[in-house]
Amino acid sequence: MKTNSLIFALLLMMPAISGCLTETISKEFAGDQVMVPDMELVIVTYDVSGLTDSMLSEFENQTGIEVTLIKLGDAGSILDYLLQHDGAQTADLALGLDNTYLQTAIEAGVLVEHLAQIENLSDSALEPYDGPLAVPFDQGWICLNYDTDKVDGENLTIPTSLWELTQEEWRGKVAVPSPATSSPGRAFMTITTDYFSNDDDNSTEWTDWWSAMADNDLIITSGWSEAYETHYTGGYGEWTDGYIGDAYLTVSYCHSPGVEAYFGGNWTHSAALDLDGASFHQVEYAAAIDGGNLIAASAFIEYLTSEPVNVNMPIENYMYPSLEGMDLPETDGFRYHSIIPTNSANVSMNTIAAEMDSWILDWNAAVL
Amino acid sequence: MLKCNGLTKAYSKVLFENLDLELGSGEIAAITGPSGCGKTTLLRCICGLEELDSGSITLNGEDITSMRTEDRGVGLIFQKPVLYPHLDVGGNLRLAGGNIEKALSEVGLEGFSTRSIASLSGGEGQRVALARALLARPQILLLDEPFSSLDHELSLRLVEDVRAVLKLRNCSAILVTHNKEEATKFADIILEIF
Amino acid sequence: MKNIGGKLSVLAFSSIVLIPLFLALDRLVWVAGFDPVQWFSAIEANHLSQGSVGFTFLQAILSTIATIVIGLPIAWQLGRYKWRGSGLMRAILTMPFVIPSIIAAMGFLAFVGPHGMGFRADQDTHLWTLIIAHAWFNMALVIRFTEPVLSTLDRDLEDQLRLLPAGKTLWGKLRNLWIPLLTPSIAAAACMTFIFSFTSFALVRWITPLESTLETVLADVGERAGISGYEVYANDLVLASSLIQFTVMLASLWLMSWLQERRQSLLPQASENSNLKANPRGLLILVPGLFFALAPLVTVAWSSLRIPVREQGELTYHWGVEGWVEAWSGGYSNTGVGDALLNSLGYAGITLIVALPLGWSLAKTIHELELSKSRWSRFLDVFTMLPFAFSAVMIGLGVLLGILKLDGELNSLWLLPVLPHIMLTTPFVVRIMLPAFRGLDPSYDEGARILGLSQSERFWKIRLPLLRGPLLVAITFTLAMSLGEFGASWVVARSGEWDTLPVLIDSLRSRTGWDPLIQPTAAAAATTLMLITLLLFMTVERFRPKGEGGMF
Repeated sequence: MKTNSLIFALLLMMPAISGCLTETISKEFAGDQVMVPDMELVIVTYDVSGLTDSMLSEFENQTGIEVTLIKLGDAGSILDYLLQHDGAQTADLALGLDNTYLQTAIEAGVLVEHLAQIENLSDSALEPYDGPLAVPFDQGWICLNYDTDKVDGENLTIPTSLWELTQEEWRGKVAVPSPATSSPGRAFMTITTDYFSNDDDNSTEWTDWWSAMADNDLIITSGWSEAYETHYTGGYGEWTDGYIGDAYLTVSYCHSPGVEAYFGGNWTHSAALDLDGASFHQVEYAAAIDGGNLIAASAFIEYLTSEPVNVNMPIENYMYPSLEGMDLPETDGFRYHSIIPTNSANVSMNTIAAEMDSWILDWNAAVL
Repeated sequence: MLKCNGLTKAYSKVLFENLDLELGSGEIAAITGPSGCGKTTLLRCICGLEELDSGSITLNGEDITSMRTEDRGVGLIFQKPVLYPHLDVGGNLRLAGGNIEKALSEVGLEGFSTRSIASLSGGEGQRVALARALLARPQILLLDEPFSSLDHELSLRLVEDVRAVLKLRNCSAILVTHNKEEATKFADIILEIF
Repeated sequence: MKNIGGKLSVLAFSSIVLIPLFLALDRLVWVAGFDPVQWFSAIEANHLSQGSVGFTFLQAILSTIATIVIGLPIAWQLGRYKWRGSGLMRAILTMPFVIPSIIAAMGFLAFVGPHGMGFRADQDTHLWTLIIAHAWFNMALVIRFTEPVLSTLDRDLEDQLRLLPAGKTLWGKLRNLWIPLLTPSIAAAACMTFIFSFTSFALVRWITPLESTLETVLADVGERAGISGYEVYANDLVLASSLIQFTVMLASLWLMSWLQERRQSLLPQASENSNLKANPRGLLILVPGLFFALAPLVTVAWSSLRIPVREQGELTYHWGVEGWVEAWSGGYSNTGVGDALLNSLGYAGITLIVALPLGWSLAKTIHELELSKSRWSRFLDVFTMLPFAFSAVMIGLGVLLGILKLDGELNSLWLLPVLPHIMLTTPFVVRIMLPAFRGLDPSYDEGARILGLSQSERFWKIRLPLLRGPLLVAITFTLAMSLGEFGASWVVARSGEWDTLPVLIDSLRSRTGWDPLIQPTAAAAATTLMLITLLLFMTVERFRPKGEGGMF
């Protein structure tokens, strides 16, 4: 009954909201189905692979709401889009803002309280934000991945501290996406602001590390895929055209090796680096946009966080589900090769929103 | 001294077959005949712009039959004066090298060196072409109906002038024309083709 | 009465081009403040744009040189000698130019990549791959510009020079004949190649992803620009990049027209083709040239049918159509190839309906002004070329930000991507039709008037049939350019619900490639676009009389 609980409640509220709407909305009870035909939902998202045709058509069948997608580059683009259209929003639902962007969106006042009723969200998913303006639909941990053939094989050992990466043997072998243009890159930069304030060394700052890395021929790419696909030797990149393959270490998710194994027939030579404080818990949100169709947006939020749909997040979207008691599947070593880091960087959404602009400026100065 | 032996050239029909030709130094010959009978082709073969099917050509003792056009030392004047319009008269003459002013006065075009090609009349153009050809000091000068596009009076005058210059320089020449009057006025020897 | 149509078209064109750009500029300056020093210093102060100016110039110059080095020998062979099937050869060699750039990028990467010819890929290789790809793309310009000049040259000029002392050596011939003859057309081709390479987007993005050019910087930060108080540096970068691009492009366009005017090809042309007999050694140049032109295209088609399978770290291939199935069913994207194609065709059709009459009317107006010796003719001529001075992304951004300023709602109009398409194709129509109008013998029209035909009868029965060749070229170009347009569409269409086929291909290709089926899927989508473009192109080539078509 969960899927139609909201709709039912809304329909009861219909007369209060608008008299004419009641006439146009017809109710059909066929098992668990409640139809709200003639409604449209516009979702602004980045190119989320998880929003498959079958998922959307199932939603359309269940609710009668027609879905259109606006697909942008990455999570940052969603925020840009919302800010660009402030006051004249064209979308109803923002899907994919994460906890490095959410606070800025909230402060800009572009989001509105949703009407969805959701139970069973896991504690970890709610940890960065537990409020009415955004609902987590998946999560993951950003961390460094390394190639097990090259590291712990050649002259290189598995790093036990980020400072090791500034040594000569790592010269030109690390690829990182830029925080200015990539949201995993941004998350990684956030990690470093926290990591180096917590280490024993009080004389160095996180910017010193970046400068040292830049001096050590750090490869900085514009997006995650250039770093992972074109430069990283441990991933699927070696099968693609345009592969360079000069980096043995890169930024990705702690469960990326699991995804590699899943697609590689339970085989991968990529591993996640479980380094204290060198990972970041990322949560992705679905949020209703102020000025949009709140009912349709809320219906989709409920749909996305319903059990049959959310359990597919790993397979469809390569992320952990946000509901309690759900995990990565065991198929083909997906779960086996993934790790959940024991000690992530601890940076609140408020800090990120307040400091991000100056962090980027400092970062630019450090790597140039 | 030009010696041609057994020249043969055929396209779809035979143009000339086993042709022998001899010209002494300083001699001027004319070849007449109707259009299309191969006169121009003969000249072009002597120049090397077209290939003979068989035969040999000797110029002043040297066998030039298989030489490149550029090395043969032969000059050619075309039906329409082939002057390069991106150069002026002087520029065109400089392609041949030598004393430009003297060459111009020889053909009666003193002071023309800075004139543009476009401003020349037909007769003037051919005179420039002649001056240029002579400046190149060819061992023999070939002329492919250069006077036929000019009006009657002008062409006859030019014929006389050109012959005079050639004789002055003791330069052998072969003129191709379909005009018998031109041929008689110009040449020492006339070859008729039927 | 004719003047009203002309004035309307000028007004329409000015509005379409100027208004969005002006609005965008206004918005950007409002956010960033009017401080040119700050704008330009932002380029080197930001990691993402650092070195972009230098790299843009470097690859553009190298590409121009490479294009001429590769294209000129081919044009020489084709123009000077008589070859059987020269029409077909010419068509094949021009194909790269009309193929959308992302397909070229895909083809080249596949060709040189680790699963193609396997040149070791590192940053250096990527640069040279880009240069060669640009040469591939633009050699059609060199061929189309110089080949007609070569093939209609009066043979006597060449023969005469051989009999003069100055023409004895190769250098003598070059200096006195070939260089003066070919300089205007080579200069024109070089300028255009420079312009296209300078603003190249898809090829740079895919082949040299580590480098940034002014165009990629614009694309990267464009969506963040124009928002008050947010990431202000983005505005600085957009303003600085646009200004630099615009200045360089304008200078190149001016240089091109100056070179063409100064060294007007005065050398007399024969009316028929006076080709020499084909020299078989020329095949040494032509065959590799044709192979070069076709290889990336064939690679794309071939890789759409070659399905990779990864097992235990080993890669095997099998032949299959799964990629095509996924592409058309929209399995990996939310739009299938069929829908995106329909979208693209729709946009192309609408672009045609607007750009063709608009361009025709502008060309006619310029021609009439020329006939009446008005000074405005020159001005209008250059004005219609203005969009050439703007890059595709710039136009897309201009439309996006400019229209946003007008009314945010307009941004979700399905028709919006059509606007940059019109801006980009109208100048081509003008460039094609204007020489055609100039070459039209007025006595045809006069004779018709004497016979008593009305104006519309004269148009349909006399003018139109005579202009059929150039008109067909203009139509194909407009359709092909609209279908393959990527830069502007990427900026504009992505922020809406409608995918054009190039944008779809890009989004397929940019997906995380864990699933090995994605690559053949992207290749299948690309092959579809390629086949449609080729079909268009071949149709026109068949109907076009030889040697006609103005610039193309």
